Amino acid sequence: MSERIIREKNRVVRHGWVELAGHWTIALSGLALLLSGLFELPMAARFKITAIPGFGWSSDFIIALYIHYIASVVFIAAAFFHLAYHGLLNDRGLLPKKGDLKASIDVIKTFFGMGEEPPFDKYLPEQRLAYLGTAVVIGVLVLTGLIKTYKNVYAPDLSHTMVFWATTLHNLFFVLFILVFVGHIGAILLKPNRPMIRGIFTGAVRLDYAKHRHPLWLAVLEPPALPPSKSPDAAEAPMAAHTAESSPGKYHSP
Amino acid sequence: MEIKLNLNRRSFLKTAGAAAMIGTTGLLEIPKKAWAGEGRLATLIDLTKCDGCTDREMPACVSACKKIKAGRIPEPADPIPIPFPTRKVEDWSKKKDVSNRFTPYNLIFVQKADLDISGQKKTVFIPRRCMHCDNPACSTLCPFAANDKFENGAVVIDQDTCFGGAKCKTLCPWEIPQRQSGVGVYLKVLPTLMGNGVMYKCDLCSDLLKENKTPACIEACPKKAMSIGPRNEIYAKAGELAKSIGGYLYGKEENDGTGTLYVSPAPFEFLDTAVQKGPGQPGLGRVKRRMAGTDAIGKAVLAAPALGIVAGLAGAFAFISKRKDKSGKKEE
Repeated sequence: MSERIIREKNRVVRHGWVELAGHWTIALSGLALLLSGLFELPMAARFKITAIPGFGWSSDFIIALYIHYIASVVFIAAAFFHLAYHGLLNDRGLLPKKGDLKASIDVIKTFFGMGEEPPFDKYLPEQRLAYLGTAVVIGVLVLTGLIKTYKNVYAPDLSHTMVFWATTLHNLFFVLFILVFVGHIGAILLKPNRPMIRGIFTGAVRLDYAKHRHPLWLAVLEPPALPPSKSPDAAEAPMAAHTAESSPGKYHSP
Repeated sequence: MEIKLNLNRRSFLKTAGAAAMIGTTGLLEIPKKAWAGEGRLATLIDLTKCDGCTDREMPACVSACKKIKAGRIPEPADPIPIPFPTRKVEDWSKKKDVSNRFTPYNLIFVQKADLDISGQKKTVFIPRRCMHCDNPACSTLCPFAANDKFENGAVVIDQDTCFGGAKCKTLCPWEIPQRQSGVGVYLKVLPTLMGNGVMYKCDLCSDLLKENKTPACIEACPKKAMSIGPRNEIYAKAGELAKSIGGYLYGKEENDGTGTLYVSPAPFEFLDTAVQKGPGQPGLGRVKRRMAGTDAIGKAVLAAPALGIVAGLAGAFAFISKRKDKSGKKEE
């Protein structure tokens, strides 16, 4: 499934199934890692999480480790899949562009009634910055997690300096991961962003929303407009109608 | 973007699958017992020699250990912060003289087992301290890397970085590490919300080992019931001793191998039944390393990057190939 406009349903397909599967695989395995990571700290017995019905097991570090490992296999494989897949397809839609920082500040100001939003591409400038930030956090967590796992399985006497830094960074970036998660949920709950929630569940957003907020993206999806004399309906439809058959995605973004 | 493909989709997936298998298999073939190599020390505790120092007020090994270790614990904060919400404080500072169990101030103690084997009465004394396991969960799973497995085999808790969460105690099959609340780095962070003191256990007198000296308990034993040496030699010596007396070994298979071998004239199942057990007084039962079950999944974690990359490349090539097929059909 590629990006395309489905005018009759007032929808624009924003994410294909690969992107949706990737997002939810990372999100759900990340949530499992977050919880099992908390249980490894150790927090379950200390804060009486064990008293919550269904969480009696949470103070068992070995069970938590099983969950952490299983979720790690899924999470790490999905992260590397994302890198390889979108890297090879040269998808750059989510990579930050020059000026994104200033643009993000301007957009955040509009949430407080200061100024008006500029026309957006498929992704907002702060989404591109957040993507980079999230990638760095995930990258450090994966690297340090792999070192810790290697130590657990093969080398319990691995250099203490390496183990200490891997563990300390894993803990620090774990806190950042929680902040990224909270920030991500907070961002999609902001009123202007809410129409995008549909997109991450179904793959498509409302066309009228996209016209209003993402005209630069729609302009990329649109074929060149015919001269008015040769296009009988051009006057009443500035944006040509597309169907799945008529408009394969021009690019394949995450 | 234009990518020229010489592989068709099926042959690419076959190649990628094979590459993933080779990569994964390569990772799984790293020798498991890499840590049991040269430079490792082990200790032998010969229970045929230990008499529990019954002629003394306190066994020599226990008093020697107390003398050099107990004084290293700083005075706890007064009052000791009450942790939220458990309100559980462990303060042994007023009970420093306790010597019949593990406490932060008592890192070794001697158990007594009165046995009756086929009508023959026999008493066996068993000095107990940290076993210094080969792959200790107390160390590998410490959330702050405060518990380190040294290259010489000693498992050592860093008192400056330990938060006293007692995870090591929970993970230890013998629950050996003991907590003293009101001391340590947690007091400088969030004392009521995070941490609860410092964990203490035998460190095999690592500071003495660095100076090529013998651990205090071994040095002090009047019966020379304990010895330390290169791991391979100690393992061989323990095996020979057990064979020569028709005795039994403990610590070789327990928790997937340890740096402490007991040789006993009586089966350890009997000793386990006969010794007094309770908090800080572990038994001598057969112990399996619980983390061993997670090793296979741990290996899968290490292989996950390769699997993800291969799947990603396969997916991308499949997408490109499909797109090419479509554009080819359109041209026709």
